[in-house]
Amino acid sequence: MNRGTDQKVNRRDFLKRLGYASALALGACGLGLALYDPRGPAPLDQTKALTGLGDFTAKNLAPGQAKMAIVQGTDRTVMFEQGLKALGGMTSFIQEGDRVLIKVNAAFASPPSLGATTHPEVLAAVARACFNAGAAQVLVTDNPINDPDSCFAITGLAAAAHHTGARIIMPAASLFSPVSLPGGKLIQNWPVLVGAFPGVTKVIVVSPVKDHQRANASMTLKNLYGFLGGRRNVFHQDINGIITELSQLLRPTLCVLDGTVSMITNGPTGGSLADLKETGTMVLSTDPVAADALGVELLGRTLADVPYLAMAQAAGAGQADYRLLKPVRLNTTI
Amino acid sequence: MPRRKAKVGPIQKFCSYAILATLGLIFVWLLFQQFRFNPAVLAALQGVQLKGRPQAASGESTAAAAALFPEVPGFSPLAPVQSFGPDNLSDKIDGKAELYLSAGFARMSCRSFNVGDTDQAFVEVFVYDMGSASNAYAVFSGQRRPGSPSISLTANAYATPNALFFTQGKFYVEIVADRASEALANSLQAYAKALLAQIPSEPGATGQAGLFPKEGLAPDTVRLSAADTFGLEGFNNVFTGEYTLKDGTVTAFLAERDTPEQADGEARKYREFLTANGYEKIQSPAAPAGAEIFKLDNSFEIIMVQGRTLAGVHDASSLEAALDLAAILSSRFKVQNSKYGAGSDGADGAP
Repeated sequence: MNRGTDQKVNRRDFLKRLGYASALALGACGLGLALYDPRGPAPLDQTKALTGLGDFTAKNLAPGQAKMAIVQGTDRTVMFEQGLKALGGMTSFIQEGDRVLIKVNAAFASPPSLGATTHPEVLAAVARACFNAGAAQVLVTDNPINDPDSCFAITGLAAAAHHTGARIIMPAASLFSPVSLPGGKLIQNWPVLVGAFPGVTKVIVVSPVKDHQRANASMTLKNLYGFLGGRRNVFHQDINGIITELSQLLRPTLCVLDGTVSMITNGPTGGSLADLKETGTMVLSTDPVAADALGVELLGRTLADVPYLAMAQAAGAGQADYRLLKPVRLNTTI
Repeated sequence: MPRRKAKVGPIQKFCSYAILATLGLIFVWLLFQQFRFNPAVLAALQGVQLKGRPQAASGESTAAAAALFPEVPGFSPLAPVQSFGPDNLSDKIDGKAELYLSAGFARMSCRSFNVGDTDQAFVEVFVYDMGSASNAYAVFSGQRRPGSPSISLTANAYATPNALFFTQGKFYVEIVADRASEALANSLQAYAKALLAQIPSEPGATGQAGLFPKEGLAPDTVRLSAADTFGLEGFNNVFTGEYTLKDGTVTAFLAERDTPEQADGEARKYREFLTANGYEKIQSPAAPAGAEIFKLDNSFEIIMVQGRTLAGVHDASSLEAALDLAAILSSRFKVQNSKYGAGSDGADGAP
């Protein structure tokens, strides 16, 4: 029972209280108006942009737990599930309530059969595993070369995300903020898809294995190119340098490199089924450099053909001699 | 009238103070945060320009590009014609743009279609204006899928299970489907023929690559390398062809220059390039007159110049194979030079 309800308020008290409340409200509004700065903060000299996208490596891996699985087979979903099991299951990487960002390669408005983009079956398998491990939200993003809507639709990635409950983050201009990589020569005040990251606790990079006209190979590290905005094609003049810097931009939780079918020639766009080869291998690795080093073998090339891997290793992004990680090898066709 | 105060219990009082304290803390936090701006915001305000999506082509060029794409029954356009110039080609084909740009690319237009009544296939058509027939041949031959059969669509045309690739004059065309089937292949051919009717044909010319001897030559390996052939910077517009001979494998090369001096100059640069990479000059009595032979381990190179023509063999697996091919090449371009006095431009009709 309200003790004050039996006490009557006379007209004078009411008007006084109304006056005080109105004065307070007006004062607050006036103060707000007085402090409002429509132009925002003035730029300061020598202020720095963000220095990277963050370190999302899994911190609680059990001692001795495998960090790389090389799975042979033809069924992408089975290969991913078996590989994940060999690494201790998705719960080794994703915990209850995690907000997971999956970086796919949706660069081209090209159907999945042409192998130029992340295969939707792999995305679906990864997203499902994240949800099963307790992820609160799974986001999927890329800043494609072509029109983003067409890219996500034609590649089948939008449908795969939709069916699993993952949400696509389109690369709206407002999501890009400048990043300056410490020690970087190329990524300086460069627009990066920072806006996809607020609240993100884990990052999984899912990439196809492809030939690339400039870089010789496009796999996990080259896939990170899709976080860049602006006229990023200028970086093609120093393709090894930019990919090395990309390896410093982000430390992923897990990398899934899909070499079930690889684009052996005429990459990165391909176009003909003749450009593809059934290489029957999927790599799951916490180390992007190690994953890509195995991918280079699928393309029939050596580390010397893909200089950015040695450069990324030297920069501390991972281990180009993937055998040192003692990968678990599986064959799902047996 | 005496003021009456409402009675407030200790719990209510405690809650009130707690709420006020929380509000106070929020106020202090907001005040503090006001002066801790996101550095990215500051950097953005300092003038970093977030550049936008591909530039739209001008209305005139878009209309011209759209006119290239015929209306063919069964082909339902999915989007308007898109056009890209040298400055934004990479917005469509990423790193592959370099291949076209180094070969004189002028403009590319493309359009995607659904094809078929049920279970519609996705088809995309790319028309590259390469500025000249030889440039078009360079990108055509540079991407030739090994083992894919030539087709009679044009002088330079081949098919893969899901696509057609051909040149017509200065245009290089790709018609790509997302699957392979006989019915779809017929549809692609029909579209290609309709497209060819829209593209102005240019008179063909005898390709320099016709000088390559046929015996031992893998026909689908004949290429026109637009730039930096064999890794030598500036060694441009060079025809190459791969041979399997009885004594080993070898690549032939051939380039015609504007003047004999230019051909001599490039031969000298190539010699210097080989020497700088560890090759040694060797002699052989079987070498054609004026030919120079270089060796590195089990790889042999031969360079020859006759008038405006620079030719030779590259990466031969044996000296015998290198000399055999060099002798035939030398005799063929001697005949060619004496017959025409000068080489011809263009690439239509190359093997």
